[in-house]
Amino acid sequence: MLETLANRYTYVLFALLVVVGLYMVVASSNLVKKVIGLNIFQTGLFLFFVTTAFVDGGSSPVIPKEADAGAAFASPLPQVLVLTAIVVGVALTAVALALVIRIYDAYGTLDEKTLREVRTDE
Amino acid sequence: MSNNSSDSDSSPGDWTTDSPMVSNPAESTYVESQVIMTTVRAVTPFSLTYGLFLMFHGADSPGGSFQGGAIIAATVLMIAFAFGVAPTREWLRNRTVVALAAGGTAAFALVGLVPMAFGDSFLAHPLFEEEFGINTKWGLEAIEVGGVAPIVAGVLVGLFFVLAAGMFRDGDATEPRTDGGAANHNRATRSRTGEEGSPTPSTGTEARTDDAGMPAEDTTTGTGGDR
Amino acid sequence: MTELFAAALFVFVLVTALATAALRDVLGVVVVFAAYSLGTALFYAFLLAPDVAMTEAAIGAGVTTLLLLLTLAKTVRPTPDQRLERPNLPALAVFGALFVVLVATVVEFPAVGEPGVMWDNPGVTQYYIENAYEDTGVENAVTAVLAGYRGFDTFGEAVVVFSAGIASLIVLRQVVFTRE
Repeated sequence: MLETLANRYTYVLFALLVVVGLYMVVASSNLVKKVIGLNIFQTGLFLFFVTTAFVDGGSSPVIPKEADAGAAFASPLPQVLVLTAIVVGVALTAVALALVIRIYDAYGTLDEKTLREVRTDE
Repeated sequence: MSNNSSDSDSSPGDWTTDSPMVSNPAESTYVESQVIMTTVRAVTPFSLTYGLFLMFHGADSPGGSFQGGAIIAATVLMIAFAFGVAPTREWLRNRTVVALAAGGTAAFALVGLVPMAFGDSFLAHPLFEEEFGINTKWGLEAIEVGGVAPIVAGVLVGLFFVLAAGMFRDGDATEPRTDGGAANHNRATRSRTGEEGSPTPSTGTEARTDDAGMPAEDTTTGTGGDR
Repeated sequence: MTELFAAALFVFVLVTALATAALRDVLGVVVVFAAYSLGTALFYAFLLAPDVAMTEAAIGAGVTTLLLLLTLAKTVRPTPDQRLERPNLPALAVFGALFVVLVATVVEFPAVGEPGVMWDNPGVTQYYIENAYEDTGVENAVTAVLAGYRGFDTFGEAVVVFSAGIASLIVLRQVVFTRE
């Protein structure tokens, strides 16, 4: 059991990061920490994709012109997906932080519990 | 550092209008770290060159437009953190940021539409080799260097400046909003507790990077304290 | 030697991720998040993905951390009253169960780095690896796929980034990116 888990160490790390990220989104009361939890969740998923591209003993997908036919390369496709996803993720984080600034401007607090009370009073 | 007095325009050393490189630094309330300024001044040319290098060499070595654009944006952000947001804002005016962001999108779309003018499909790069005799590689380079890198750099820098400017308030330089009353009404209930003890001086300075000349958020401490 | 380095990186990423969830002070969480991004970037480089590593380092440890610090400066940094977060026990129970379920699924996956596995699509991947230089003229297969074979997706992503800039303007009710 431990041997199989040790062979799949990145997948175990992916599971842990996803769970930690979701826990931060759900359980933190500060809004900025929720955004950080979302980022950790995203990086866990990126780790999963990059691992599916990994080939043991291969090289990175920069293929020289005179490459021999049998050389092993890491697959470029999941890396392209992750590249796009990282940039879209930072755009998402920036819009989320703009919303956080606006919430602070309107209510004066970043605490989720206080916000919930204030909004039920309105 | 976190003196909550509202800085108006007439107070000496009001660094929102002055450049922090004032003649008499002892007068300004802006606490700079000499270490940060010197380091950033030394590192910036190399960082910018490295970003451009990654952008141009994305074809034959690891790198590309996303990495280069992000490093250029991070360099500009580093400059803004070291020297203050207001001087960086004057250096990079709005039209530079908008030109980069909008121009990049337009360039990408135009390079993609050129093959359609010749009857081929959108973004068909081999057409450049057939029609104009140039290598297919230049189609890719055009959309990478001319399209994606300016978009990424421009939008990331623009997002930084928008977040630094904060929420729009009445009395700003641009035209007033009719329903800006909500922001004004709630301003009195906003509490400013918790600013003491922020370690780096640069985060404290960002708290006053308001619109040019506007005083910082007023110091009415409300009752609803933050967690 | 590389196994030792990989193990050290693994432990570093694990510890920083748990520290991000456990710390109470928001500024401390942001700083630990920057360290976590750096560790993840090194881990990607170790997994033979240098493009992804550079992007993660520049964007995760650079831009995201600076935007978070800027948000903290524009809003408030609540004074920390204790060092560690109070754990939310129902959430911990639910997510602990989720973790166990995920690990049970992980055991069914093939080993890390094994070639010829179930999601390796040999037709498509081998085609890209063999023909990237002839079709597009670039040696970096990631750039060839990004701007050549899948250029349309990159166009969509560039437009998404652009519209995120516009969306932030709308949310904060600004008219220009920077006032001149």
